[in-house]
Amino acid sequence: MSKKRDKLQIIYDILSVIKEKNGKIKPTNILYKSNLSNQMFNEYMGELIKKRFIIENKTKSGKVYSLTEKGFAYLNKYQMIVDFTGSFGLNE
Amino acid sequence: MIFFAITLLVGAYALRIYKLAGQRQSKLFGISFLFISAAYFVQSILNFAASYSMAEECSMRSMTAVHSLSNFGIYSHMILFITGLVTLAYMTLKIKNINAYALFLAAILAVLLLSSNKLYFFYALSSILLIYISFYYLENYLKSRKMSTLIVFTAFLFLLFGKIHFIFSIDHGTFYVAGHLLEFVAYTLILINLIDVIRRK
Repeated sequence: MSKKRDKLQIIYDILSVIKEKNGKIKPTNILYKSNLSNQMFNEYMGELIKKRFIIENKTKSGKVYSLTEKGFAYLNKYQMIVDFTGSFGLNE
Repeated sequence: MIFFAITLLVGAYALRIYKLAGQRQSKLFGISFLFISAAYFVQSILNFAASYSMAEECSMRSMTAVHSLSNFGIYSHMILFITGLVTLAYMTLKIKNINAYALFLAAILAVLLLSSNKLYFFYALSSILLIYISFYYLENYLKSRKMSTLIVFTAFLFLLFGKIHFIFSIDHGTFYVAGHLLEFVAYTLILINLIDVIRRK
């Protein structure tokens, strides 16, 4: 059985999925690839938009998401964030 | 000044992590270390002023001014340090309630400021808070079993032993030196851990 993902790991997974198809990915694709329940997915997406990691754009075919500069920075510095928060007991 | 620099570095780095990850725990951790850093800064200024007044031949008036400054500095150091530890303890509780934090802080500061022997209560309250924080870091180590979490747990344990030594230092000067040495080891361990994290990136 795989180890339960923590919050930082889930955010990393969602942002990685969005990065793959930056600016074109739809919520259903992110939901499928991030392996989350519908409720959890909505909570995380709301938080990521609120914290400005991603932006939501409305097109004719529906909503699409793209990473902000902050989202890219999170992905680049992810390992450092995990090391720091892990060693100083800052996991949420 | 060394303790001030280390705690400032750790606090600033935690706030940088907060900026990157938007994680509340990092923000609280950063703020707590900035409070502790400010406490050490005040203490450094105080030590500097005390050594300056001893070195110079001062008038009675300037001696009174130094004494008033010294009292203000000691109170500031105690309040800032306790606020830092309360913020750190609140972070370990993982609750989101600013009223609970305010009540926690107000109760502890009231006990400190209304006590007859403020210095003794300061060391005793710091030790109680550090016992709780050390348990949290012990749990963190037992969950992860990593060297970095062991280093942080050991550092907080040394901080706790340091504060316990300060309780006895009120009557015995030797314990005061031992307390500072234990604190030095604690902050060195925290610095080693921080450098390790930065180097791994």
